[in-house]
Amino acid sequence: MAVGPSGSGTTSPSATTTGDGLASPAWGGFDPARARGRDVRDHWRSFRTAAHLGWLMEANWTDPLLFFIYSVAKPLSAALILVVMVEIVSGGADPAYRAFVVVGTALWSLVLAGIAGLAWSILDDRERYRMLRYVYVSPSDFQVVLLGRGVARLAVGAMGAFITIAVGVVLLGVPFDPLRVDWLLLIVDLALGLWVIVAIGMLLAAICLQTRQESWSYPEALAGALFLVSGVVFPLAVLPSALQAIGMATPLTWWIEGVRHAAFPDMPSSVGGAGSLWSTLTGTAAPDAATIIVALLGTGAVVTLAATGVFRVSERRAKDRGLLDQTTGS
Amino acid sequence: MSVFASSPAASPQEAAAWSPRRQLLTDLRSVRGRAYPRITGLFREKSWVFFEILLPFLATSAFVFVYRALQAPPEYVGFVVLGGAMTAFWLNVIWMMASQLWWEKSQGNLELYFAAPMSFMAILFGMAVGGLVMSSSRALVVLAVATLLYGVSFAVDQWLLLLAVFGLTLAALYGLGMMLASLFLMWGREAFHLTQLFTEPVYFVSGLNFPVARLGLLGALALGTIPLAVGLDAMRQLAFVGAEFPVGTPSPEVEAVILVVMTAVFVLAARWTLNVLERRARQEGRLSVRWQ
Repeated sequence: MAVGPSGSGTTSPSATTTGDGLASPAWGGFDPARARGRDVRDHWRSFRTAAHLGWLMEANWTDPLLFFIYSVAKPLSAALILVVMVEIVSGGADPAYRAFVVVGTALWSLVLAGIAGLAWSILDDRERYRMLRYVYVSPSDFQVVLLGRGVARLAVGAMGAFITIAVGVVLLGVPFDPLRVDWLLLIVDLALGLWVIVAIGMLLAAICLQTRQESWSYPEALAGALFLVSGVVFPLAVLPSALQAIGMATPLTWWIEGVRHAAFPDMPSSVGGAGSLWSTLTGTAAPDAATIIVALLGTGAVVTLAATGVFRVSERRAKDRGLLDQTTGS
Repeated sequence: MSVFASSPAASPQEAAAWSPRRQLLTDLRSVRGRAYPRITGLFREKSWVFFEILLPFLATSAFVFVYRALQAPPEYVGFVVLGGAMTAFWLNVIWMMASQLWWEKSQGNLELYFAAPMSFMAILFGMAVGGLVMSSSRALVVLAVATLLYGVSFAVDQWLLLLAVFGLTLAALYGLGMMLASLFLMWGREAFHLTQLFTEPVYFVSGLNFPVARLGLLGALALGTIPLAVGLDAMRQLAFVGAEFPVGTPSPEVEAVILVVMTAVFVLAARWTLNVLERRARQEGRLSVRWQ
């Protein structure tokens, strides 16, 4: 029903707009057409502004040196933990596996950053800055704003991943030959992977809309669980068959397999290999490039649909129950 | 003279001019009051069971499978399980102790704490008690389920010493958390980034998934400064007697003494930093300004 002055039932509110900037319409009510917008330009402007704000919050408010250290120290330490574990047991006799874990943990820092970026945007704005209610009622699309905020953290994660791989190549013996890289596969795989990471982040953001302040650790917990089944630091073949099947249904598994396949062709496959479910089902040693992309597209589409559905349900429930401006603490 | 007349006092406790008994009871009530939401929260927020018990258990499992992929000796799986259980406490110390005052400030509670006639140490202690109960449930589940699922066999000769070391580790950890709470508050917005610095890098230098002795000098430094490192090493020595892993760290008895010293130092440092903080809060009035 149109919102308009009493007794003006046949008059469209937008038809009575004066067009004087932000002044009230002539009939004195609220014209929803002014806030409708939402074409591509509006979305882009919202996204850009949110991404800029996210970057300022991530980087500018921090001492640059500290910011750099913490961005790099986290993924690098995660890789070093595994490198030491490998070295202790194998005594340095397994450089291929060492390279495998370095690349896996570096890529995982991107996953962690991407998932956390979106979920923490909700918690930051609701619990700390208490701006979520205002952001929500603004004409910007809420999901676009969230995406923008998440992109900033994703950029920080990408920096950490890049530096970890660089350290791996220079100091830890990760074999990298730019001439042997399948650049097309790498670019397509990276792009699809980023899309999947954002979708998972959106899913968790939907959950954080419903939970309390202590959800700060949820992204890490979710990423930790996916870490088990995504072939990040060990081939799926060491897992029981049921977990291997779950892993193969996870898009992140295919993303990481794709990056390894494209950029580090001599590295063992995390999906295939002796005793793997993949080899049992297909009779091949490891998936080829086309299979990886198709599997990533398929599983990524499922996750995206799930994330979209869950976010809509969560958003509606949050509105119904007044969760958008409900701060918690313990 | 009116009861509302201004009378200069060094602190709200002094202004209240209560008897020592009443002061003590107020402090105890503060401990209970601050611990209450954390303990009650265990039952009110069901999602934590999934996100704070099941998922971290899976993360611990990932490291178990790394050792399995490497065909490591079975006691290494036990190291990972023990480390995985202890991460519950460390994460609690970092996220819900060290960062807590800064969040309280952002939420507007901090000025109320400073104005109330109670010891601030009681607030921190209450936070620690609540956090301890919260984390213990998670650690216990991770330890029990992983032990059963991955067939970890412990070999313990000195149960009492093991329990004492565990208790001392928690005391030192939460003492550190109390000290960091004041420091993180002073460092302001950097605090959030510092929580990031205090996770994986600390896991690495503490030897969360491997014997810390393998890190040489870095491991020795960790043993002297990080309760997680020294506590884990002592517990591994006591829980896996006879296991073949790199030696070179002090005996559990010596490490227990290190933990006692750490606890005393951290709690005293927490008290000192709190006093400094409280003085600044009153003199400059900046600590009640949010988001800085």
